[in-house]
Amino acid sequence: CFSSSAAAHIGVGISGQEGIQAVLASDYSFSQFRFLQRLLLVHGRWSYLRMCRFLCYFFYKNFAFTMVHFWFGFFCGFSAQTVYDQYFITLYNIVYTSLPVLAMGLFDQDVPEQRSLEYPKLYEPGQLNLLFNKREFFICIAQGIYTSVVLFFIPYGVLSHATQSNGVPLADYQTFAVTTATALVIVVSVQIALDTGYWTAINHFFIWGSLGTYFTILFAMHSSILFNIFPKQFHFLGSAHNTLGQPVVWLTIALATVICIAPVLAFRFLKLDLKPQLSDTVRYTQLVLQKKQKPCGRVGRGVGGG
Amino acid sequence: MRKSSCRRGGTPEDIRMKNEEEASERPDNTAFTQQQLPAWQPVLSAGIIIPGFLIIGLAFLGIGIALFLTSQTIQVLEMDYTGVEKDSPCFRCTSPSNQTCTCEVTFSLSTLFTGPVFFYYGLSNYFQNFRKYGVSKDDYQLTGDTQYFKSPRDVCFPYAHDSKNNPIVPCGAIASSMFNDTFELYQIINGTKKKVPLDGKGISWWTDYNIKYRNPLPVNGSFASAFDGTVKPINWPKAAYELDLTDPNNNGFLNQDFLVWMRRAALPQFRKLYRRITEGDYATGLPAGNYSLTVYYNYPVLSFDGRKKVVFSNVSWMGGKNDFLGIAYLVVGSLCVVMSVVMLIVYAKFKFSDDDDA
Repeated sequence: CFSSSAAAHIGVGISGQEGIQAVLASDYSFSQFRFLQRLLLVHGRWSYLRMCRFLCYFFYKNFAFTMVHFWFGFFCGFSAQTVYDQYFITLYNIVYTSLPVLAMGLFDQDVPEQRSLEYPKLYEPGQLNLLFNKREFFICIAQGIYTSVVLFFIPYGVLSHATQSNGVPLADYQTFAVTTATALVIVVSVQIALDTGYWTAINHFFIWGSLGTYFTILFAMHSSILFNIFPKQFHFLGSAHNTLGQPVVWLTIALATVICIAPVLAFRFLKLDLKPQLSDTVRYTQLVLQKKQKPCGRVGRGVGGG
Repeated sequence: MRKSSCRRGGTPEDIRMKNEEEASERPDNTAFTQQQLPAWQPVLSAGIIIPGFLIIGLAFLGIGIALFLTSQTIQVLEMDYTGVEKDSPCFRCTSPSNQTCTCEVTFSLSTLFTGPVFFYYGLSNYFQNFRKYGVSKDDYQLTGDTQYFKSPRDVCFPYAHDSKNNPIVPCGAIASSMFNDTFELYQIINGTKKKVPLDGKGISWWTDYNIKYRNPLPVNGSFASAFDGTVKPINWPKAAYELDLTDPNNNGFLNQDFLVWMRRAALPQFRKLYRRITEGDYATGLPAGNYSLTVYYNYPVLSFDGRKKVVFSNVSWMGGKNDFLGIAYLVVGSLCVVMSVVMLIVYAKFKFSDDDDA
C-alpha cells in the first residue's frame, strides 16, 4: 500500500481497526470508505476549481500591474522609472488585492454539494485538465497584457493634453501615477468580482474592504501629516486630492474600466450561451429552482437542496 | 487484510461513553466549517447583461458627445519658437554664442480669444520622467532645512557641489535644469506695442506652495543670509533668493515658476503653465488683431533635438482641449451598443433554437 500511495496524485488513508499506518503515509484520511465519494466529487472538485480560478486571476492581476512599466519604458527613456508610487507597489499585492482572491480561493463554489454528488460527470474537467492548462494560462496572460495596454495608454492619451479646470496641466508624473494606480485597483477589483461565483459575507467584506482600504491609505499617504514627519518618503503630498478631484480623471478611470471589463463580460456571456459547460447548466438550473422554492418559505440560505 | 477482532457490544455506559467520544471528535457543524454560508450566486443572465451593455453604451455616447462638443469650443494656439529653420524669428538665438538673446514672434488672431487665457510653455523630447533625473533632488533642502544646505544628499550628484566643493542649493538635476526663457506679450495697435499684463500668481499646486516647499528662515533679518556658505546651481543666472526680489512671497523656493518646474512631467512632451491673462483690458480675452511675443531665449534644447513652443488656451469644466477623451467615449459607447445588439441576436437565436429542440 505504500507504493500505490507514492504513485498516485493523492494518497488517501482509511483510519480503522488495523491501526493508523496508512493514515500517517497519506495526504487525506477519514474513517469510512464511503467518504471517498465526497472527498472526490465535492471537495476535490471544488479545490480544483478554486485553484484554477485563483491561479488565473493571480497571473492576470500581476501582469496588468507590471506590464504598465514595460509600456512606460518607451516613454521614459527606458530608465526603469516606475509608473506608480513606491508605496503602492509595496502594498498592491499585500493589501489591495490579496484578500479578495484569497476569499475566492477559500469559499468559491460553482455548484452546491448536493448537485456535485448528483452529477458525477462534473468531475470530468478535473480529469481532463480543462480549467487550467497551457491554453488557459496564455489566455490569462493575454488578458493581463491587454489590461496593461489599456491602463497605460488611456491615461496617456487623456492626460498628455489635459488640464484642470483652473488651467494647471494634469500631465505631471504624480497625477499620472495616481490615475493609473486607481484605475488598476478598480479594474482588478471588478475582475475579481466577476470571477467570484459564490459571494459570502466574507467575500463582500474583503472586496469592498480592499477598495475602501486603497482609498483610505491613498489619502492618508498623500496627506500633510505624514509629509511633515517624513518629507522624503511621502513626497506625493496633495496628489490624491488634486487628481481625484478632477472630473477628467474619473472619466478616464471609468473609460479604462469599461474597456477592460466589457470584452470579458461579453465573452463570458456568449460562451454561456453558445457553449455552456455542464457546471453552468447545473448552476443555472439550481438557481432557477431556488427562486421557485423561495415563496415556500426557504429564505436566507443561498445554498439549499433541491 | 482485515484483522478480525471480536468486539462485544459493551454495557450501556460503554455505549454512551463511546457516543460522547464520537461526538467530541466530530467536526464542527457550523455553516462556516461545512461550507454552507449563505451566499449570493450571480449568474450572467441575459436580462442583466444585454440591457446593461445598452445603458452603458448610451451613457458613454452621451458623455462622449458632451465632451467632444465642449472640446471643440476650446481655442488653442501653439507656436514653436525653437528656431530650427533659417527663416524662423528665433534662429539667431540658437547659436551658442548668443547667451542672452531676444527674439520676437508675431502672430495674429482673427477672432476674439475668449478669456481667461492661459499661457503655457511646452517642451518636447524632454524626459523629465527619467528615473535618475526624477530622484535627483533634496526634499529636505526644499522644506527649508538648513542642515541639508551644507550637506546635500548624495542623490543630487553631480549637481550637489560645484568645482570648488561648495554645496549647491537647491541641489539636483531637476532644479539645475529649470526653464529660464521669459516672455512678454504685446498687442500691436496702430503700430504701437501695448503690453498685455501677465499674472503669475497661483500657477502651481496649492499644496506645493503652502506645505511642501518652505523657505529657510531669514538669518539676522536677511533672507539671503540663510543661504550663506552655499552657491547657486551652475546653470542658473540668479540664486534662489534672487528669483523675485519684488515679491517676498514669490522668492526662494516659493517662486511659482520654480514650483511649476519642480513638478515633473510624466511624458516627454509636456506643457507647463507660465502665466494667465486675466487682468485689465484683456480680462475677457485677447481681441482679434496682431500680437508680438518677445522671447528672452536662454534655454538651449537643440543639443538633444528638443523643441520649445508657447501655447495659448482657454479652459472649460473639463479642462483644456482634449479631443481624445470625447472620441474615445464615442467609440466605446458605440461598440457597447453594437455588442449589446450582437449579444441579443445570439441570445435570441440560441433561445429559440433551444425551444425548437425542446
